[in-house]
Amino acid sequence: MIAIVDYGMGNVRSLRNALEYLGEDVVVTDDPAELDAADRIVLPGVGAFGDAMVAIRERGLEEVLTRQAMVVKKPVLGICLGMQLFARSSNEHGEHRGLGWIDADIRRLDVQRPLKVPHVGWNDLQFAGDDWLFQGIRAGEANFYFVHSFHMVCHRPADCVATIDYGGAVTAVVRAGNLVAAQCHPEKSQDNGLKLLGNWVRWTC
Amino acid sequence: MLKKRIIPKFLIRNGRLVKGVRFHNNFREAGNPVSTAKVYDAYGVDELLFVDIDATPQGRPATGSIIERVSEEVFMPFTVGGGITTLEQIAALLASGADKVCINSAAVADPGFITQAASRFGDQCIVVGIDYQRRDDGRQRVVSRCGTHPTDLDPLDWALRMQDAHAGEIMLCSIDRDGTMNGYDLDLIGSAAQRLEVPLIASSGAGSLQHCRDALDAGASAITISSMFLFSDHSPIKVRTYLASNGVQVRSQRGSHS
Repeated sequence: MIAIVDYGMGNVRSLRNALEYLGEDVVVTDDPAELDAADRIVLPGVGAFGDAMVAIRERGLEEVLTRQAMVVKKPVLGICLGMQLFARSSNEHGEHRGLGWIDADIRRLDVQRPLKVPHVGWNDLQFAGDDWLFQGIRAGEANFYFVHSFHMVCHRPADCVATIDYGGAVTAVVRAGNLVAAQCHPEKSQDNGLKLLGNWVRWTC
Repeated sequence: MLKKRIIPKFLIRNGRLVKGVRFHNNFREAGNPVSTAKVYDAYGVDELLFVDIDATPQGRPATGSIIERVSEEVFMPFTVGGGITTLEQIAALLASGADKVCINSAAVADPGFITQAASRFGDQCIVVGIDYQRRDDGRQRVVSRCGTHPTDLDPLDWALRMQDAHAGEIMLCSIDRDGTMNGYDLDLIGSAAQRLEVPLIASSGAGSLQHCRDALDAGASAITISSMFLFSDHSPIKVRTYLASNGVQVRSQRGSHS
């Protein structure tokens, strides 16, 4: 069973549809008992960082999620804003503390004209060719859908397993032990996205 | 490298796809939205845009049920517009599977609504649609409520104001060119793309492969295509192949699982 964390911030329907398309049993929940019982957890998210942390805390989810991620060490996947919440902090509209699972901070994309912010659309992932997470995705055709204004700055370079080029290398996917997190939206990235999600659901860490 | 986006634009009326000319006349039936979305998913288009054109005139928000059905069938980004006036309506459309909403008339009525929506859902979620038309005095001016309410707003000034209000993207739609297939409004697209720091979506006028290239070369981050896909033999694959062979960065891969 895969639990998608329901904290009122995000497009959970598309994520659920994509995981069910892959044949997975999915529950969308904010119940700590169901998060405890799940084999895997997905933390989605769309919106502002500070609001998201408030929503997680108001639902009493920070402690249970951190226990699952850092003590039980279940596979946990963060997507878009969910990915960013794995970091220590963000300076989106003020300073906010994150979940702190990954040694990284969230900063606004710093690009020059003619590049635009938000970064919206399809961009090519660059990754190590033998990485299991990207199995079946061909280099040169590894485009994924992004829609974001802030990005993750990793303090341990090894955590960053895929980047994109947007006025320089931008973190696209991070992995640290049982944690995987993607700035892009695999549930909206057609065939490539389903392959990445499929690789993740088959992974035993 | 970020790709230029090709976005089919679907107008919805009574649950069916339609397409007219200059917003008013000659609406033609263009199929079932869900099955058409699946076809375009298979073509590997970059995004879908649904606009419920009866929503604002009928005083209700865009219908979420079609969006829910689309999100069960296709795993790609889509934007929904039409009649959105409250934060709750945005939340409901996002919960139905939309990634972004397109707001037009409600922004004209209350520019502060865009700032509120962006602060709750993130700038990247809020596309501001700007419909405009050339007046008898030769000036182009914004027209709201599905082409029925003229304003004194200059479309470029309005685009910049909407950017300041935290719109994540701006979509410019020339009513004079809508459905004519005579080409995009390159002058305004060029000047707006140069001034805006957020992505610009060029809408209305596509009739040939060259038109698509011209709008992207003028600086648009994305183009919407409606009549050309529905009523000509130009498929998304043809458009993409043409653009790629003319040096425009577009997606290489087919993309779809179907």
